[in-house]
Amino acid sequence: MVWVSSRWKIALMLAPALALFTAFFVYPVGYAIAYSFTNSAGFGGAKFVGIDNYTALLDDPFFWQSLRNTVVILVVSLVILIPSSFALALLLRRRIAFAGGLRALVFGPAIIAPILVGLMWVFILDPKIGLLNRLLEPLGVGPIQWIGGNSLTPYSVSLVFVWSSIGFAMTIFYAGLQLVPNDVIEAAKLDGATSWQQLRHVTIPMMRETFAIVTVLLITNVFKIFELVYMLTGGGPVHRSETLVSYMYFVTFTNQRYGSGMAIAVVIFVLGALTSLAYLAAARRRSLA
Amino acid sequence: MTISTPPAGPRPVTRPRRRRGLIFTGLAAYLVTFLIVLPILWVTVLSLQPSDTILSDPFSIKTLTFDNYRNAVASLPLLQMYKNTLIVALASVTIGAIVSFMASYALTRMVFRHPTARSSLRFYFLAGLAVPVYVLLFPIYRIDLALGIFGTYAALILPYIAVSIPFNTLLLTGFLREFPKELEEAAIIDGAGLFRICWSVVLPTMRPVIATILIFNVVYVFNEFPFVSILINNPDLATVSLAVSKFQGQYTVDYGGMMAAATLVLLPQLVIYAVFQRHVIAGLTAGAVKG
Repeated sequence: MVWVSSRWKIALMLAPALALFTAFFVYPVGYAIAYSFTNSAGFGGAKFVGIDNYTALLDDPFFWQSLRNTVVILVVSLVILIPSSFALALLLRRRIAFAGGLRALVFGPAIIAPILVGLMWVFILDPKIGLLNRLLEPLGVGPIQWIGGNSLTPYSVSLVFVWSSIGFAMTIFYAGLQLVPNDVIEAAKLDGATSWQQLRHVTIPMMRETFAIVTVLLITNVFKIFELVYMLTGGGPVHRSETLVSYMYFVTFTNQRYGSGMAIAVVIFVLGALTSLAYLAAARRRSLA
Repeated sequence: MTISTPPAGPRPVTRPRRRRGLIFTGLAAYLVTFLIVLPILWVTVLSLQPSDTILSDPFSIKTLTFDNYRNAVASLPLLQMYKNTLIVALASVTIGAIVSFMASYALTRMVFRHPTARSSLRFYFLAGLAVPVYVLLFPIYRIDLALGIFGTYAALILPYIAVSIPFNTLLLTGFLREFPKELEEAAIIDGAGLFRICWSVVLPTMRPVIATILIFNVVYVFNEFPFVSILINNPDLATVSLAVSKFQGQYTVDYGGMMAAATLVLLPQLVIYAVFQRHVIAGLTAGAVKG
């Protein structure tokens, strides 16, 4: 390929992507980090204030609330999603009529715009007009503040996130199941293993990397939850249902405290980068296996 | 309950217990799927109820009406929304795919004088995968303002291209690294230049990867909200996502109208998904399954 690899040809091929990526991705990241060390706000110039924005975050109860909510959503979603989507992959792998169609339906929520998912679930979770309370009413369960109350919103957001991600996770598990060699399962069967034992001692251990990939992908996606909160409660009441991302959005664009907003953005960046690195490590280990 | 075609090879005789088990798993699968589809059905049911009885009696089948749709079509600039979204999607996805292909080709097939330059450039692009886009919102808002493109299509198109480059590069370099050298060499002997090699030799073999990239990015642009909520302030340029975010304010207590509008957005998405479902599922899980 040396013939076509003159220096200017290489430069020509790389230039457009390099220019766009540098101007609209790398430079903004640097810009955000630099701004997180300034006191920039709606008007006036930006002055360097060192790590003041970060230390102020430590004293900001709303920041801690949004971090706590993000962690609640993370834990609740993972605890429900991982086992249920894996079980669903096992279930939809059986010989069932239209199993392919069922898998497509289950994946469906993953393609709906998150903003629309949020709107749809308002009509299920809303304490007054929602389907859920309407179904619970005849059972004598009083109206529950699924959203908009003081405490339940993060759990409801988890529920919606589980709904929109279960098909996605199921599909990755389903693909992972196809990779488990059949002869190993057959051997276990010949040794008299029950189907539970086959699952527990053969299938699951052989899918360790798939579990790692699904877990890390879901973690990254939880850190991106924004539209759901935006539509369900707008972060309220008084920031009680805020996540890290929605709080960053509020501080930056509603409050116009750009310096503080960028400090939260850097926190999100560090958390996101760490989980992505974990993901790449897991993916690499799998491709070597 | 019918049972789909049995796999090849010997298979144990179906005993009654086994058959009962199969029926049970079948029922469970249908039930779970129904529960997952239920929210979509609920939206559709609500959209067919007249606004005055929607709250008192949403399950009624006697009062079904298409009035909400008539109102929604009249009050919603559906065509405009889709036109805006399509323009932004077409421009950003095509340019994104082309520039990513050019860069990926250079990074995998062309001969660098310094091999480390090649690997560090590839890392430079791929590192973008680790950055949550929320970090970029405010800086890009400022850049768009400084460039004087704030509130235009370009305000969205440029960041969408940039955001698509890391994932595109991951998939394209992964594919191009395995591309057989012999085909390129044969083309060079036939006198083909760089453009001919890319266009007539390499690209035709890449249809599946290109399809994956296009689908992944189109779905991203259609569903994207954070950027558009900040960079577009003119309602005439609103994309579908931005328009949906305004429904609660626009229809306030007209829940039937809101649900009809939601259904009008949801339906085309679901129809397109139904047609291309295999490709869409493959496209959206490509990063995870291929690592």
